[in-house]
Amino acid sequence: MFSRSRPSAGRDKPQPSPPEGGSAHLRIVDGDTYTDWESVYRDNIDRLYRLMYARVGNRADAEDLTSEIFSTALPPLRLASSKGEVRSYLLATARTVLAAHWRRRLGLPVTSIDPETDLAYLAGPASPDGPSDAPERADAILQALPDRYRRILELRFLEACSIKETAQAMNVSVANAKVLQHRALRMAAQIAGELAS
Amino acid sequence: MSNRRLLAFIDALAAGRRPPRFRADPADAPLLRTALELRAARPGEAQPSEQFVAELHKKLAAQAAVPAAEPRPVRPRRGALMLAAAAAGGVLVAGTFAVTDALDHSSSTPAATQAPSASALRTGTFVGSGNQVLGQIVAFRGKPSWVFMKVAVPHYDGRLTCELQAADGSFVAYGTFRVHNGVGQWSKTISSQVGALRGARLVDSNGSPVASATFA
Repeated sequence: MFSRSRPSAGRDKPQPSPPEGGSAHLRIVDGDTYTDWESVYRDNIDRLYRLMYARVGNRADAEDLTSEIFSTALPPLRLASSKGEVRSYLLATARTVLAAHWRRRLGLPVTSIDPETDLAYLAGPASPDGPSDAPERADAILQALPDRYRRILELRFLEACSIKETAQAMNVSVANAKVLQHRALRMAAQIAGELAS
Repeated sequence: MSNRRLLAFIDALAAGRRPPRFRADPADAPLLRTALELRAARPGEAQPSEQFVAELHKKLAAQAAVPAAEPRPVRPRRGALMLAAAAAGGVLVAGTFAVTDALDHSSSTPAATQAPSASALRTGTFVGSGNQVLGQIVAFRGKPSWVFMKVAVPHYDGRLTCELQAADGSFVAYGTFRVHNGVGQWSKTISSQVGALRGARLVDSNGSPVASATFA
């Protein structure tokens, strides 16, 4: 039971109260310490999900990985640790979970967790913009592309058009749209690399 | 790797579906990364649904209601450096290991000695020789203090030995645990100062290093 506390743990810090009637409630004893697993969950679920979504790009995987992070991290967690320590722990778990995900899915680590910048995101105020400058970076990449390349990537990735709808919108065949998309992504990847360096 | 599989992955990604598995060519990594980045920038889709948050909370609450095995501290044996047998199956494993003295009073090299950390919870990531992330280790300070680790080592079956690194950089055997189908997790109490730990490493049954971690 991971909401338990050990009486002797963290003597220098406020101790968590046991759940009442089997139902724990969010209780913050001081501003820097989690007191039960639910406070850990509620304080981090949104940002951890956003972090994973930004790394995998789809809801199903982001949900699975977020679930795995909490299921892995909470049982052995000892409370009366500072929020910063718990977030570092959650992030280390996320790093392991994401690495295993990419090994299974593609056999190589396409994206990863950065312990420093992502910890800063996790510790910061909740933001609807996600864990990074992703929209700005995506926009910079798209703006650097030729018109047709930019348009096909906008239709596919930002406007959720199928390849058939995209082909119709661009007045090309489906086969041509696939080729155009592939070339556009290659060039976008090159631009992304240049922006990162 | 065929372009058809790559295209299928990108199609699924663009459509918001779970992309299929395939063995990707490292040369395609930048393209895949860029596709992910563009997809993640789609407005309004990055937040978790209320249903997911509620269902995961319910699942975790059920998990919390099941009492977990507590590490059962046993009396430390002074000076011994034996390896403790670990129970299979990823359950919490009992036993305090007598690394206390070795870690707390290891020979000191002042220039290399790390100042003890005051943290109650210390975390490290196991990284393999190819810089790939293979797991994590967590040390909790308390009475008793204990160490938890979870690893995912591809294509590995067998025992791994965990060695803890003292503040002066020396390594002390801490225990062994079994990895099944590449996955293993293990925990054990420790009576040494959690703050005095610098890191850990995992070695296979031949003594070859598998991964190492440094506590933050």
